[in-house]
Amino acid sequence: MAKSMTLLWGAGSPPCWRVMITLEEKKLQGYKHKLLSFEKEDHKSQEVLQINPRGQLPAFKHGDDIINESVGACLYLENQFKSQGNKLIPDSPPQQALMYQRMMEGLTLTEKLNLVVFYDLYAPEGERHESAVKRNKDNLVAELQRWEGYLENVAAGSYLAGAFSLADVVAFPNIAYAFRYGLSVGRYPKLAKYYSLLKDRPSIKTTWPPQWYQIAQRSEILKDL
Amino acid sequence: MAKDMTLMWGAGSPPCWRVMIALEEKNLQGYNSKQLSFEKGEHKSKDVMAINPRGQLPAFKHGNIVLNESYGICLYLEDQFKSQGTKLTPDNKAENALMLQRMFEGLTLFDAMKQVLFYTRFVPENERHDSAQKRNAENLKSEVGRWESYLQGSGPYLAGKTFSLADVIVFPVIAFLFRFGLSEEHYPKLAAYHNTLKDRPSIKSTWPPNWVDTPGQPALKDL
Repeated sequence: MAKSMTLLWGAGSPPCWRVMITLEEKKLQGYKHKLLSFEKEDHKSQEVLQINPRGQLPAFKHGDDIINESVGACLYLENQFKSQGNKLIPDSPPQQALMYQRMMEGLTLTEKLNLVVFYDLYAPEGERHESAVKRNKDNLVAELQRWEGYLENVAAGSYLAGAFSLADVVAFPNIAYAFRYGLSVGRYPKLAKYYSLLKDRPSIKTTWPPQWYQIAQRSEILKDL
Repeated sequence: MAKDMTLMWGAGSPPCWRVMIALEEKNLQGYNSKQLSFEKGEHKSKDVMAINPRGQLPAFKHGNIVLNESYGICLYLEDQFKSQGTKLTPDNKAENALMLQRMFEGLTLFDAMKQVLFYTRFVPENERHDSAQKRNAENLKSEVGRWESYLQGSGPYLAGKTFSLADVIVFPVIAFLFRFGLSEEHYPKLAAYHNTLKDRPSIKSTWPPNWVDTPGQPALKDL
């Protein structure tokens, strides 16, 4: 099963990490994978374009089926391999609804983080404004405070929607990268607790990014938030 | 079942419209439907904030369950009401995979569209640049071209032979593009898709009320 799967990925990319966590959770170790470099523009190579014409990572194939959208790939793996590994979508209506809500909100969190951490990649020189930088920071602070609230009662086994689920698969990588880029543990204690509870989960520990994108230049970027 | 559901929505909004289509497809007519006005700022009203603290639409309740993310609502409805209405997730593995791929690519299409059509809403005056607007337009053109090519393959739906969540999610965005002047000559496959689906009962009965019998806008006619 896993042998007919291929994942092209980049280190420190939350979308790639989500897929890798899901593969571990569903006991699909043994998939073919290749680490590519964003810095060297590998994601625009023929090898990637053949699977993902958008030239983006992750690029994921299972037999002839291609799903390059990370949340799509995670949903696919959970649905195709329901009976193996950990259950990542709760059945009970209230938990399931909460899971889908937080899972999709995870994409909002991703976007707001990216707008601050990678502002220079979104706005070319000549189009950058202090007013935009400030607004993006304020939006991110409001968003992070929202997630602090979501994790009010975080404890072992009690994550974004109860037991570990696709909501955590989607959101945890972004929270990990927020701390990597300098987010204050003191100002975001619930997020920090969530992070420390999950960082040693086998599926997460095994797939921990070997490096982070331009970490030297960006490691303090969130420290004042 | 549907009587325990409440949907607050705004006319024309793709995220709202996709939920309405899903409710029809799953035979959940009879839900409490509350149309609100974005123009009047009603999405920031206390009623909405009580369900969705983000002050955004759609805002959806099923009994005590709250779900405000449109993709989440569609996935939830399909899962919870599997045995009624239209089956929106194909069993066929290849179609299922393609459905999920297109569903989530739908976010990219919607975003590219918003960057062009809502540029002045999102970007304060002192931060606007012709270079950005030009780039956004090129990006949208290339994105729409991508979707035109997606419909060259086996169809007639986005995931292949069967109508699925991919269509529920993405059709409202494609309809929005045509409402804002997208050219049928430039994009014949998208136009055919649009023209076929606009008569589907779930889509026809939820067509934005403010679009009926009124002309659209030409913003995208040269794309």
